[in-house]
Amino acid sequence: MYDFIIIGGGVTGALIARTLSRYQVKVCLLEKESDIGNHATLANSAIIHAGFDPEPGTLKARLGVRGNAMYETLHKELHVPLLRTGAYVVARHEDDVAILNALYERALKNGVEGAKLLSGEQARKLEPALHRNSVKVLDLPSTKVTYPWEVALSALENAVSNGVEYRLEAEVVGIVRTDKVYAVTLANGHALKSKAIINAAGAFADKVAGMIETHVPYKITPRRGEYLVLDKSVRGFVERVLYPVPTEKGKGVLVVPQVHGNILLGPTSEFQDSPSAVTNHQADLSMIRQAASTLAEAIPFDKVIRTFAGVRATSSAKDFYIRQSLEHRGFYHVAGIDSPGLTAAPAIAEYVVETLIKQDYDLESNPDFNPYGMQYPHFHEASLAKKRQMIAENPAFGNIVCKCERVTEAEVLMHIHRPCGGHSVKAIKKRARAGSGLCQGGYCEGTVVKLLARELKQPLETIDYYRKDTPILMAETKVKR
Amino acid sequence: MKTDLLVIGGGAAGIAAALEASAQGLEVLLLERDTQLGGILNQCIHNGFGLHVFKEELTGPEYAERFIHMFHDKDIAYKLNTTVLDIRKEDAGFVVSASSLQEGWLELECRAIMLASGCYERTRGQIQLPGDRPKGVMPAGSAQRYLNMDGYLVGKDVFILGSGDIGLIMARRMKLEGANVHGVAEIMPHSNGLTRNIVQCLHDYDIPLFLSHTVTDIRGKDRLEGVTIQQVDENWKPISGTDKHFSVDTLLLSVGLVPDTMVFESLDIAMHPVTKGAVVDQHYQTSIPGIFACGNALHVHDLVDYVTEESRRAGRAAARYVKGLSVRQKRLALNSGANIHYTLPQYIDTADFNGVISCMFRVTKKAEQGEFVIRQGDRIIQRKKARFLAPAEMEQLDLDQTMLSDHETPLTLDFEVIRP
Ligand SMILES: Cc1cc2nc3c(=O)[nH]c(=O)nc-3n(C[C@H](O)[C@H](O)[C@H](O)COP(=O)(O)OP(=O)(O)OC[C@H]3O[C@@H](n4cnc5c(N)ncnc54)[C@H](O)[C@@H]3O)c2cc1C
Ligand SMILES: Cc1cc2nc3c(=O)[nH]c(=O)nc-3n(C[C@H](O)[C@H](O)[C@H](O)COP(=O)(O)OP(=O)(O)OC[C@H]3O[C@@H](n4cnc5c(N)ncnc54)[C@H](O)[C@@H]3O)c2cc1C
Repeated sequence: MYDFIIIGGGVTGALIARTLSRYQVKVCLLEKESDIGNHATLANSAIIHAGFDPEPGTLKARLGVRGNAMYETLHKELHVPLLRTGAYVVARHEDDVAILNALYERALKNGVEGAKLLSGEQARKLEPALHRNSVKVLDLPSTKVTYPWEVALSALENAVSNGVEYRLEAEVVGIVRTDKVYAVTLANGHALKSKAIINAAGAFADKVAGMIETHVPYKITPRRGEYLVLDKSVRGFVERVLYPVPTEKGKGVLVVPQVHGNILLGPTSEFQDSPSAVTNHQADLSMIRQAASTLAEAIPFDKVIRTFAGVRATSSAKDFYIRQSLEHRGFYHVAGIDSPGLTAAPAIAEYVVETLIKQDYDLESNPDFNPYGMQYPHFHEASLAKKRQMIAENPAFGNIVCKCERVTEAEVLMHIHRPCGGHSVKAIKKRARAGSGLCQGGYCEGTVVKLLARELKQPLETIDYYRKDTPILMAETKVKR
Repeated sequence: MKTDLLVIGGGAAGIAAALEASAQGLEVLLLERDTQLGGILNQCIHNGFGLHVFKEELTGPEYAERFIHMFHDKDIAYKLNTTVLDIRKEDAGFVVSASSLQEGWLELECRAIMLASGCYERTRGQIQLPGDRPKGVMPAGSAQRYLNMDGYLVGKDVFILGSGDIGLIMARRMKLEGANVHGVAEIMPHSNGLTRNIVQCLHDYDIPLFLSHTVTDIRGKDRLEGVTIQQVDENWKPISGTDKHFSVDTLLLSVGLVPDTMVFESLDIAMHPVTKGAVVDQHYQTSIPGIFACGNALHVHDLVDYVTEESRRAGRAAARYVKGLSVRQKRLALNSGANIHYTLPQYIDTADFNGVISCMFRVTKKAEQGEFVIRQGDRIIQRKKARFLAPAEMEQLDLDQTMLSDHETPLTLDFEVIRP
């Protein structure tokens, strides 16, 4: 019997798990995929927004601004990467200026630090790629960029080291409550019991809620966002995140420098029925090129190395919907977590545990809680002396597996065997970055498959690209060289 | 110890350049990231290598083996499992950082560098193919490596996008291994592969080739389930109503190769927008004196024989540089004119120009007959008639120094179509 079951292993669920692990409670996180964070947490703009656009007083405004500040602590404790870029919100016509001024006022009300207005000319001096039509700019120096997926991974791994359990390929398909105990059924037939449930199922949250609530208080309408990724050789093309002035449809197409040197262009914003379909559409991709070109001059589109899409959990509640069920005590909705959900995630976790749960449960501190996550070295970023030392201690650091991102065999092995290790090609790509570069795995995919097979003691043809039963190598041939 | 010439890459190009530079008396060190020498040739187990250099038809590994033998005979220094990561310029030469499985981190000093790191394959992301992103979409060369080096098929029902040579070769290869190859789509109105490959790999096996077609949708949640192709108009826009669907588990991409110049990242070397390799003069010298490039790392070749010939010239030029025999004074541009995709070299070093320069180039369109004309200003200084021209086939023209009228006016190469 668990005290808490968390449904959903995105950044929200992972940080809630970590926050709960500060207390003496028995927690299990359930994730339906074969790896954590494969939905919104994997495919988003990666921005820790300053908090300039949500309406003052909303949870999005409050938790967004608080979350932004909390990333400094996560950076120290969990070593999540943080690029302190700052951002410009850009008015490109005179008509935009009034809206920009209003956003400035809103930023002040929301408590955004350092917000100020600049002329287009002033801004272009600091950000030369900014479009020459830029009239006025809202400067938001507290904006940052992280690697969202790693936030979820390191939070979960830290939670696990503090006693939390987690299960992958554990899709919740039924929830019943009898005698104050929840029984959760998984797709594989297993059943788990818990005193309380936290629904952090992202774009699927209304479906999960529907398993127990007679009236689900919100409806989620999935909203797809597509992106283009520029190779890291464009590093420095822009220093800051560039936003257009937001419209009804959202924040618009942005230009976002990433922690690994790439630049993201996107997202688009299209409603769709499926909470999981991440299809790229020709029309969206063209729209990105066109829209991004009104924000920045001479974008090097010939450096596009990849496209992707993510799905926002846009809900009818407009704001985040974070509260206990009205029907079922101990069932917590953490729903409608669309933008700025990544930014707010640490504050959402704090709010759920410290405010909501503590109202109902006595939580006793976990005296053994260790806030510090494991640190995994990046060979390429080490100093020359450090590199020599690393190789001396472990020769596998000398073997470069991925030439584009300069990832060594030692790093790949580490990410296979770490507590929340990766066991598929894509899981290694996300952890070690092998295959994320210019050639997209052309050089290293085969090596990664072989290392996985060797380390997991499995035949080559069982190594999956990502989900179960997606092997890269389908059939052995007669001819062997 | 300071090496005279450090060669990056031990494929056809690196070996030929190293052999030639060593024959000229240079101290050479070759670094190769793989576990063996030979480069891409090792996975090209089909025939068709060596017709020019050896006057016989060899497989890729056989061609490589002959050069590897010569290389070992000369006792040229080399290191395997050693990846070059960075190059720094120092007063009297360069320092190359490399990481080696056996020796760890290396900082190697040298007087000159030969980049012979080959090329990589353009990916799905680079051409921004829409649709789902399941497993089963991969570059044809990767599939070739899995099949020929590791002994594994990546799929059983295959469609191929792009009619580059690797795609064509793989169509036949997968067919022979029992896979069902449903077709090849090419967005251009002509094939990008060698004519002999169209005939021997597609026609002979009844594999349909859809010219002026591209993939417009990819379906499959986890594994590829199918692709849709559509005909395109002259602006490459898909024409509605021309959809054809194929139920396949594999989509191989043969949509172009790009010179791998990653180790140049921290250097300010002038790059060519079309070849995507460095801009060079007839000595294969880049905009940084002492750094040379050859083979697929410079521009993508269809025939290994040309790689070998080019790399030998590059090796000789590097030797002249190290011995202080080449003095770069004036660089005269050789521009790509009408119907010319690119030329190589793009510059001519007139201070050190004796004899004949082998200019390589590609045309932008197919023609049955035409003429190549090199002009300096208004003056025609060289012309050559040619037949059966196609963008996929590299052309060559020898430029004679004595024909130059001066050392100031840039040259232009035009391709004048006589019969399309
Ligand atoms: C295009 C786009 C751009 C964005 N940009 C930003 C940005 O720049 N800054 C920002 O702050 N925010 C941004 N966001 C929002 C942010 O990404 C999300 O708010 C955040 O990732 C949500 O995390 P989550 O854990 O709530 O959801 P998810 O990451 O979607 O996780 C939910 C998890 O629940 C699992 N699950 C669902 N159903 C079940 C079940 N029945 N059983 C078990 N597991 C289940 C899913 O598999 C999934 O892993 C963006 C979002 C998108 C889509
Ligand atoms: C699939 C395919 C089919 C072909 N078919 C034919 C044919 O039928 N007939 C024909 O004549 N020609 C054919 N060719 C063309 C010809 O074989 C190649 O152009 C030629 O072999 C390329 O030689 P290279 O040395 O430039 O490159 P490669 O052979 O690619 O060698 C480059 C080497 O550099 C190494 N390297 C790269 N980066 C680094 C680094 N940073 N540090 C250390 N080492 C590094 C690589 O590991 C590799 O071994 C084919 C080419 C391909 C790709």
